[in-house]
Amino acid sequence: MKIKKLLNRRTFLKGSLAGSAAAVSLSRSPEAKAATFEGYPDSMGVLVDLSRCVGCRSCEAACNEEQQLPLPEKPFNDFSVFDELHHGQKRRTDETRYTVVNRYEVPGLDHPLFHKVQCNHCQEPACLTSCFVNAYTKTPEGAVIYDPKVCVGCRTCMVACPFYIPTFRYSSAFQPRIMKCIFCYDTRLKEGKPPACVEACPQEALTFGRRQEMIRVGRQRIRENQGRYVDHIYGEHEAGGTAWMYLSPVEFEEAGFDTSVPKEPILNYVKDFLSIVPMVLTIWPALFAGIHLLATRKDGIKKQQQTEGEAEK
Amino acid sequence: MKSIATTSQEIPIDDHARVDGSSWALKDKLWLGLSREEYKAMIVRNPVNWALFIILAIGIPLTIMRYFGGLDTVTNASNEYPWGLFLGFGLFGMVPLSASGFLLGTTVEIFGRKDFVPIERLALLNGLLGYFFAVIYLEVDLGMPWRLPYPMFVSLGPAAVLFLVAWHVATYLSVQVAEILPALFEWIGWLKGKRWIKSITIGLTIAGIILSTLHQGALGALFTYAPTKIHPLWISTNFIWIHFFCSAIFAGLSMVIIVSTMCKNFMTWRCDDRFLSNLDRITIGLGKGCAYAMITYLVIKVVAIAHDNEWIYLLTGWGQYYLAELGLGVVLPLLLFSFGVKNQKAGIIRLAAFIAVAGIVWNRLNTALICFNWKLYQEIPRWQEVWITLTVFAIYFMVYRFILYRLPILYEWKGDK
Amino acid sequence: MRCTFMAALSIMALMAIGALYPNQTFALDADDAPESVEIESLAELYQPVSFDHALHVEMADCVECHHHTTGQQPVDPNCLRCHAQSTETESISCEACHSAKRFYPEDLKERNQPELYHIDKPGLKGAYHLNCLGCHQQQGGPTGCQDCHALTKRGEQLFKVSIVPAENESGHDTHQ
Repeated sequence: MKIKKLLNRRTFLKGSLAGSAAAVSLSRSPEAKAATFEGYPDSMGVLVDLSRCVGCRSCEAACNEEQQLPLPEKPFNDFSVFDELHHGQKRRTDETRYTVVNRYEVPGLDHPLFHKVQCNHCQEPACLTSCFVNAYTKTPEGAVIYDPKVCVGCRTCMVACPFYIPTFRYSSAFQPRIMKCIFCYDTRLKEGKPPACVEACPQEALTFGRRQEMIRVGRQRIRENQGRYVDHIYGEHEAGGTAWMYLSPVEFEEAGFDTSVPKEPILNYVKDFLSIVPMVLTIWPALFAGIHLLATRKDGIKKQQQTEGEAEK
Repeated sequence: MKSIATTSQEIPIDDHARVDGSSWALKDKLWLGLSREEYKAMIVRNPVNWALFIILAIGIPLTIMRYFGGLDTVTNASNEYPWGLFLGFGLFGMVPLSASGFLLGTTVEIFGRKDFVPIERLALLNGLLGYFFAVIYLEVDLGMPWRLPYPMFVSLGPAAVLFLVAWHVATYLSVQVAEILPALFEWIGWLKGKRWIKSITIGLTIAGIILSTLHQGALGALFTYAPTKIHPLWISTNFIWIHFFCSAIFAGLSMVIIVSTMCKNFMTWRCDDRFLSNLDRITIGLGKGCAYAMITYLVIKVVAIAHDNEWIYLLTGWGQYYLAELGLGVVLPLLLFSFGVKNQKAGIIRLAAFIAVAGIVWNRLNTALICFNWKLYQEIPRWQEVWITLTVFAIYFMVYRFILYRLPILYEWKGDK
Repeated sequence: MRCTFMAALSIMALMAIGALYPNQTFALDADDAPESVEIESLAELYQPVSFDHALHVEMADCVECHHHTTGQQPVDPNCLRCHAQSTETESISCEACHSAKRFYPEDLKERNQPELYHIDKPGLKGAYHLNCLGCHQQQGGPTGCQDCHALTKRGEQLFKVSIVPAENESGHDTHQ
């Protein structure tokens, strides 16, 4: 009888430990990894100056060619695209374009403002931290790149990105993939060259350099052109800091920026949950095993008496 | 079915041996002891099957179209709404409704409440199938469904909440298969296997609690990746995982009440006396559990609003919609549950369970679709997307029914156990 | 740029004069400048710009485009902080200071000095456009891309000008 009881308990422990041990070892590493990452010191960045952009769409054209994207519906010197609306929204990135420029008429300003949209290449990207197959990588150069070979197409990155950047090639049944700006990593950034859009910009509305340097440049521009800029670099802290940052002559929301994006990495909002995982994994087995032993103690005693009674007979 | 039961003496099969003493072959068990003609007649006679046929006749070609033409042939395929009905209903809706498995497993095996034994297997099966079909829905929605095992074996991203969900759903599915296997072993008569499973039941059950707590919560935590996209009333980054976990408790229990009610009414021939005579009592017990879980849920919902100081939103249109969801989907069934428990009226509890399940599905759809992108625009799913969702649900229904007809879920096996 | 050579010549001439009269500073005179300049060094997507320097001299002071490089005192108080006493520079051509290979490693390396003030100096293309367009917008000069330079074959290819957009699409909600 004793032996049988022992065995029972051992098999029980085996069963529950196997389950939780696997889960513990798997869920431990994330926090450790996430807590220590502070961004690459020499990563590159781009400072976009809305007051310089004239909406010529050269960046869109250069991007299309550099990334060998599908032909657009309208040529890149067609400015009627600025009037396009989809569901009441201005143009956005999609599987045919990694970057778009949108026009904003700002009350009180005699000329429109243009806001270039592309991946902002966050320091701690939400797409990367939400990806359960590690398809995203933040390179030391600052680019957030994507590996289509391991992606399963769950599209959590699209949910997680606070800037609505990653897009999905919904049109393909057999080669779907995420389509997003990669900072021209493969063809240019890796070799120290600026991305195609930056090089194409006639107005130098896009300034490329080390991210830290770009913040200095941005500060200098704000300081030395008193009143010409809002005293804020969008992206210095948004979403925990982004490689692409913006200067604007008007309040950012007036030029189509989401100012509700938090000033910390999106991952911080998830940590609350991640931190309870080890707790549940360690406390639950003991707690419920204890409850089980308490709740079934009487049955056990009864059974024991019964079997003893039978044995006596 | 009743007519068959009366015409044939040997229906339903609940023993290895026929009335005359010879044993049933496995094939006979699969055909419910009917001849092919009788079986066909049974299928044709049932109007539910005609409805299912119509759903599948349109739904299966649509599903094929999705796999060969791409997601954009059947869905709105939008970059703002990456997740549509397949996940909004199929994953986020089905999983809480499947919490029943671990809940009754815990009640019976851990808390030692043997009085819930008659419904334990139904709850376990409900859990298993719910999870299994949540995975099927996921397979419909995934861009590269053939890469389903990638997060497990090929490229691991352990920092992601979805990684937790994937692993826990996968392990929990195996746990649930193991938990339901005894029913299968009894049915095919392989007792050794059953004894082995029996010996690890407690381990399986505790593993089930851990995995369930974590991934029910994790499904909620998935939305903490989008703190700016979901309306503040539906997302509380501190509490959403508790909301999801807590609501899964009454959702799972309510789902068992619904399924058992349907079995009692439409599958009476398959239920034995132990099930039928205990069901009202058990339903009231489950209703009590629902009521407790709902009160807890309501309190945490209010705490979340207070914590984030979002009272002001309650005065807006979104706030009224939120109050409608809580009022109709939680408070109303809570009152009905309490009334039913107090007055020992199983009928009221069954009504409450229907409302509660609808309320929870509504909540998940709100979180994933309706209140998602609340600052942009509302996407309305295409009819093809709705139909495929319906098709998968119809298959779920059919598999569910197929198993209930055969395995000793609603009845006790008369032969060797 | 053809003006470089001319400018260099005139500077050399000036320096020769400056050597004769060491106590006097000589600013370049507008009359020394070329009548017209063909801006072609960056011409790839667009044809070279034929810049009527004489015309622009009538409209603006040298300093408005050439900063302090001609020896005139800058007007921007910010520049005056350092350049109040600056004499004319060796070369007044734009590309002498503004890199044609902006943002390439050499350019970035050059800026990577902690004591450097001009960390925000535009490249050549940026300098041209920022300089010209700003004024053109204020003074009502031409501002469209092809008002100053026509697209080359290569430019037409890049901008995909051969695409004819589908009818009745612009300005409407194009989502089905």
